[in-house]
Amino acid sequence: MLVEFSLNQSPKAAQPSIAEVARSSGNIDQALSVLPSFVPERTLSEARRLLQPWPDGRYTEAYHRSGGILNLFTPPWDERQDEVWTEMLAEWEAQIFPNDQARQEAFRALEQQWNTTPHPFFAGLTPAQVMVGGGPQEAELASEFLDRFTRMLDGRPFESEGQMLIKTLMLLRGWECQPRKDGRTPLDIIVAERNELLARRARALSGETG
Amino acid sequence: MSRKSRKRKRTRGARSKQRSPSASTTRAYQQAIRQADEILSENDAEIRADNWPELALDWFASEEPERDILVRYIAEHKQKLGIPWARDLLRLEVFFQAEDHLQIVEYFERAFPRYPRCALVEMWVADQIFRHGGDFWRARQMYRYAIETLPNHPKPYYELGFMSYLLGDFPGAMDGFNQAADRVADDDVELAARVFYNRGLVRYFLAGDRRAAIADVQEALRRKPNYPQAKEALRGLRGRVRWVPW
Repeated sequence: MLVEFSLNQSPKAAQPSIAEVARSSGNIDQALSVLPSFVPERTLSEARRLLQPWPDGRYTEAYHRSGGILNLFTPPWDERQDEVWTEMLAEWEAQIFPNDQARQEAFRALEQQWNTTPHPFFAGLTPAQVMVGGGPQEAELASEFLDRFTRMLDGRPFESEGQMLIKTLMLLRGWECQPRKDGRTPLDIIVAERNELLARRARALSGETG
Repeated sequence: MSRKSRKRKRTRGARSKQRSPSASTTRAYQQAIRQADEILSENDAEIRADNWPELALDWFASEEPERDILVRYIAEHKQKLGIPWARDLLRLEVFFQAEDHLQIVEYFERAFPRYPRCALVEMWVADQIFRHGGDFWRARQMYRYAIETLPNHPKPYYELGFMSYLLGDFPGAMDGFNQAADRVADDDVELAARVFYNRGLVRYFLAGDRRAAIADVQEALRRKPNYPQAKEALRGLRGRVRWVPW
C-alpha cells in the first residue's frame, strides 16, 4: 500500500509523479531512477510490477493490488470469489449474437464495464480506482486510521483471528463514514483523489502534462 | 448471534472451552469426541433406531422454524441418515454448546461430507468459519447455499448483510438487512434487534439519514430493551456526536 501511495506522490506540486513519468515515457526504469540508491531491490521490484502498463481488457491485476486503506484488511480474494464477474459472464454467455465478431465485441465491452463499475468486494471502488492506487491524501488518512486503530486495539486480547478481523473492519467502516469539518468523509476524499489520479493518468498517457 | 443465544435447554457438562490451535491434532480431536459422547451419555441421549430423528430434532433444532426445516431434511434424506448421522449431529451440538469453535469446524469437515448437505447445519457452522475463523469467502458460499435452500430464513441474509458491511459494500449490506427485516419473526428477539440496529447504522452511513437510522435503532430497542450498543448509538444519532459507534 505504501509503495502504491509513493508512486502517485509528486516531489513538488508542479512535477509529475513517478507513475506519471512511467506512463508518459513508457520507461519504468527511467521513472524509478529518481529514487535514492538505498531503496531496497524488493521495493523496486514491487514498484516495477505496479507500474506495468494496464491491459486493454479486464484489469485482473486489481485482484492483486492493495486497494488502499479501504481494502487493507479485506481477506484475500480473486476471480474465483468474484460474484460480480461471474454474473456478468453468465449473462454474456446466455446471450445470442449474430456472429463471432459481435460476440467478441460484447465481451470487450463487458470487460470495460467491469473495470469501471464499483465492486462490492473492493469496498465500492472500481477496479480502475484500485489499479491507479492511492495518493498523498489517502496516505495521510491511512496513517491517521492506523494510529487510531493502534491506540484503540493495541494490547487488547481477542478470542480468535476472526473476531480480531471483524473488530478491525468495524472500526474501519465506522471511521471511513465519519464526516470531517468540511463535511466530506474519508471515503469521499479517497474516491475523489483516486478519480483525480485516473484523470491525470489519462492525461499522461495522451501526452499532456500532469 | 451464537446458537447458545437462542432459547435452548442447557446440556449438563457442556462447558465453554478455549482450545489452543495446537490442540487441533488427531489425539485432541478423538479426545473431544469422547468427551462429547460422555456428555451425551450423562444427558441420557441414547441414540437408537426408534428415536434418532426425535433426538436429532430435540437437540439441534428444538424450536420453530428450524425444527420444521430439519424435519423436512430428515424426511427427504432418511435413507442416507440414521443413527450415525444423529450421533454426529448431537456431538456437533455439544461442541456448539461448549463454544469450541475449532472443534465445531473440524468435526463438521470430517464427519458431515458423508451426508447430504444440510443448509441448517451449514448456516450455523458458517458462523464459526466467519466470526471465529475469519474465512469470509468460505462462509459466504455457505450462507449463499443457505439462502438458496432456505429462502425464508432471515439469518443468512443478515449474515451476508453484515459481511457486506465489513467489506465496505454498504448497498449490499442494506439489501441483506432489508431482506432479513422482511423475514425475521417477532419472537426471534436477538436476531430482530440486530437486524434493525445494523440496518439503522448502515442507513446513516450510506446516506446520512439520521431520522431513518433513529427509527431503526428504536425498533431494535423495542425488540430488545436491554441492548447497550443500540442505546449508545441512539444517543449518538440524537446528539451532535459525529462518531456513531457500531
